[in-house]
Amino acid sequence: MAEVAIDISHFVKRYKKKIAVDRIDLSINKGEVFGLIGPDGAGKSTIMKAVAGILKFDEGTVRVFGMDIGSERNAEKIKSRLGFMPQGLGLNLYPELSVEENINFFAHLRSVPKDRLSKWKEKLLNMTRLKPFKNRKMKHLSGGMKQKLGLICTLIHEPELLILDEPTTGVDPVSREDFWEILSQLLGEKNVTALISTAYLDEAMRFNRLALMFNGKVIARGRPDEIVNGVKGSSVKVLANPQTKAMDILSRLLQKPEVVDNYIKVFVEGKDFKQATALVNDILKKNGIKVDDIYAEEPELEDVFIALLQNCHSDLPDSHSFSLSPIHLSVHSPPDEVAIEAKKITKYFGKFCAVDNVSFSVERGEIFGLLGPNGAGKTTLIKMLCGIIPPTAGNATVAGVDIHHIRDVRKRIGYMSQIFSLYRDLTVTENIKLYAGIYGLTKKETRMRLDWIIDMAGLRGHEEDLAGKLPMGIRQRLALGCALVHKPEILFLDEPTSGVDPIGRRAFWDIIFHLSREEKVTILVTTHYMMEAEHCDRLALMYAAKIIANDSPQRLKQDVAKKAGVLIKITTYKPFFSLKILRQAGFKVALYGNDIHLLTSDPQRDVEEIRSIFTENSIELKSVSEHPLSMEDVFVYDIKNLEESYAT
Amino acid sequence: MQLKRILAIVVKEFREILRDPLYFSLCFIVPSALMVMFVYGLSLDVENVPFAVVDYDKTNLSRDYIYKFAKSRYFDLKAYTEDERKIDKMLDKGVIRMELIIPEHFQENLFAGRKADVQFLIDGTFPYRTKITKGYIVAMNADFNSKILPSYISKTMGIPLKQAKSKLNPIGLQVRYFYNEPVKSIYSLAPALMGMILFMSPPFLTALGIVREKESGSIYNIYSSTVTRSEFLIGKLFPYVVISIINANILWIMVTSLFEVPFKGNLPFFAVATGIYVICSTGIGLLVSAFVRTQVAAMLITTVLTVIPAWLYSGTMIPIESLKKEAWIEAHMFPCMYYNYIIMGSFLKGVGTSILWTNLLALIIYSIVLFTAGYLLFHKRIKA
Repeated sequence: MAEVAIDISHFVKRYKKKIAVDRIDLSINKGEVFGLIGPDGAGKSTIMKAVAGILKFDEGTVRVFGMDIGSERNAEKIKSRLGFMPQGLGLNLYPELSVEENINFFAHLRSVPKDRLSKWKEKLLNMTRLKPFKNRKMKHLSGGMKQKLGLICTLIHEPELLILDEPTTGVDPVSREDFWEILSQLLGEKNVTALISTAYLDEAMRFNRLALMFNGKVIARGRPDEIVNGVKGSSVKVLANPQTKAMDILSRLLQKPEVVDNYIKVFVEGKDFKQATALVNDILKKNGIKVDDIYAEEPELEDVFIALLQNCHSDLPDSHSFSLSPIHLSVHSPPDEVAIEAKKITKYFGKFCAVDNVSFSVERGEIFGLLGPNGAGKTTLIKMLCGIIPPTAGNATVAGVDIHHIRDVRKRIGYMSQIFSLYRDLTVTENIKLYAGIYGLTKKETRMRLDWIIDMAGLRGHEEDLAGKLPMGIRQRLALGCALVHKPEILFLDEPTSGVDPIGRRAFWDIIFHLSREEKVTILVTTHYMMEAEHCDRLALMYAAKIIANDSPQRLKQDVAKKAGVLIKITTYKPFFSLKILRQAGFKVALYGNDIHLLTSDPQRDVEEIRSIFTENSIELKSVSEHPLSMEDVFVYDIKNLEESYAT
Repeated sequence: MQLKRILAIVVKEFREILRDPLYFSLCFIVPSALMVMFVYGLSLDVENVPFAVVDYDKTNLSRDYIYKFAKSRYFDLKAYTEDERKIDKMLDKGVIRMELIIPEHFQENLFAGRKADVQFLIDGTFPYRTKITKGYIVAMNADFNSKILPSYISKTMGIPLKQAKSKLNPIGLQVRYFYNEPVKSIYSLAPALMGMILFMSPPFLTALGIVREKESGSIYNIYSSTVTRSEFLIGKLFPYVVISIINANILWIMVTSLFEVPFKGNLPFFAVATGIYVICSTGIGLLVSAFVRTQVAAMLITTVLTVIPAWLYSGTMIPIESLKKEAWIEAHMFPCMYYNYIIMGSFLKGVGTSILWTNLLALIIYSIVLFTAGYLLFHKRIKA
């Protein structure tokens, strides 16, 4: 029997009248990496703070290392043994202090002896590659670096229990990858227990065990593979024509489908591959839709989570909402027109170059994705295109208008930022009417737009609710509706789905897809979710103020495949150890969850070599197989290459 | 209690303050700037009141009368006309704040031994200034009377002018002002402002300093660590007390050198009292920080809690003795009144410990109460 590190029973926490966590029982063993997964407001932070001994709770008991921390006095007793990193990228660090000063402060707070501090600090700085930035002020670090510094500060006193609240939110995939690798190395070395929360479902595979939370309750728990196996079903991918109609029909009859690489992906619960494929095929054929290609595969964790979540979800738009007759937004621009064209656009903030000589063009009706690590210049670029800040050099036209003509630009574009700019004390209708007023719509136009937005965004039934009281997913769709009130030709979305749960995200992308295909609205979007990048028609990858790649997801993958070869996934029971020995053997491998990824131009030879390495070290090899590249592989490959070339 | 941990917090706090331009100026520039702005902007001396004259008489005597006002430093002649309507407009626009109307036969009546009237119209929108202005007028009018009356009496009664003068003013007035001999308002205003600023600035900085950590989330580093409550509070507040003491020194130098206010009292006693006063007002910031979560709220609440008592109940604007009963009680509830006594006693009266010790005691009690409350309200395990 493993020793228990954290034992939570009948835990209840209310904020005023609202129940945040509703009678939860959890038990976490020593040495375990335990994940709390769920959308914003599920109750993850509440549990983490309670376990860290810094939050009072209403009912139940929390035991940490056997100590009942129901009182402040008892809670103090376990604090020397734990490290807590609160939510928010680098927010708990001190911006005016340098990297080293930050680390020293945390160490002094924890009374870490001098000699131990210097050794341990050295090691952590080397591991995180922050050593060259030792004297840089924290406020001048990039997002990924802040996150790593936060981790060092939390680990500096070598705690036995690590509590990390959404350590990867708002961080790009490369930094995220890096973070998990460092963490897993450290956790592997010492017998540290970790409680980690995340809003990214694809990170679920990194935990030994996890609890999926929703609305203050645990709706599934166990090992990741247990959870996946717990829900039977298949994921069907289909190439259908016409695509929008197929989406409409499938979303009405099955679980929310999504478009990946031009294929519609839909999860069919409780059916094996054959049954599922037949079912989808039947549905589409009956509705007169041509099926060009169809196949089924193992469901992913996200499919399973969505299946689980869907039962508890009530804020989804009606699935028939997309069959409403479209009101054409702006029909006056002819097709195949260039919607956005940037010509050598550049922005300096003082001496700092945020956007460097960037040129690209987006066609009307396209979904154009802008990817890149934090601080690459994406937001600055969008702000210039929206006329919010003027460029230092170069120019751009948006909907045929020079961006220096701010008023004309604003009339033609809609902008939605990460912090949905809504008035929380106004109702849904009032918010829409307010935006209509700001853009000077007539009464009649306002009424028509109001109806259209309410239907489009699936807000029926919420018309009189206060914006501040809406769940995240609905609030996001309301913000989208407000951005569309004046029938813009172009829509700018700056990380629109941060913190929204997967179902809400899919519903959102359905709308985006619909807008692009039916209404011919051009969409420029930035995101950190690589799954979302796959939905885009074209992607531009930004790095250090420049666009370094600009093509369709398909082509980008082909490019990487040409340069680096095919992707081999290696699955073992000892991922960390395997990673270490493969690196020692000279392989450029990366860890994705429990899988090891390798890009190789000679798969046959490499697979053989890997097999022999594994036998030499007597590690059991679950599987080695070729896989199609995902957008995440492309992103990580490109950025890592660039980082290396910048470093030398 | 571990000195090392306190030191770590002190060093970190100082670094943040010194490196952040906004905090740096809040700490070191704003207090001195407030002093300069208030002293120049709030001078309570009423001087150079702009006025205009309508002279219907146009005689030597009427011009003498006008000249008496025009040449004085209290009044500033802006216009001399015969058209009353024009002048009324000037009063409406605020170009002048007083009108003087001299009727016809002014000189004739006076020389004939009859009573002559003049009319003053004073802008009453600011009663304090109006009352002072009226006082000047009454005094100058009396002076004018006392100059022409004796000559009239000596003429009509046939006695020498000197005799006539002493007959008319049998009691000679000899006034000497105490403590503030030249009766300059700056002598009381500048030191009082020092007390006000030292009551407003330290709690402002302290509350912001603590609440900033709550807002950013860095307070969780403290909550989740082994630092004790008292270690944190001492480490966090110490820098603000030090900064405020530095400010007290700067303000004292400004008051005595820049505004040339004499300091007559016991300097060591005053230094100790100021130190305790600063600790006391820092405690108010600590108390506020226990109740609020955002920097905006902290700013608003400290402003309300400190500015109003500092202005109304410290005895700077209105003497405590002349407050209504309710206000008198309120004044005794805020520490700034006690310090104002110490300031006035030390700067102007030149008295020391033997007279002011009760005020010092009150400040010490305040500090203890505030810090105890702040400590008890600060928890490392929070409700929400």
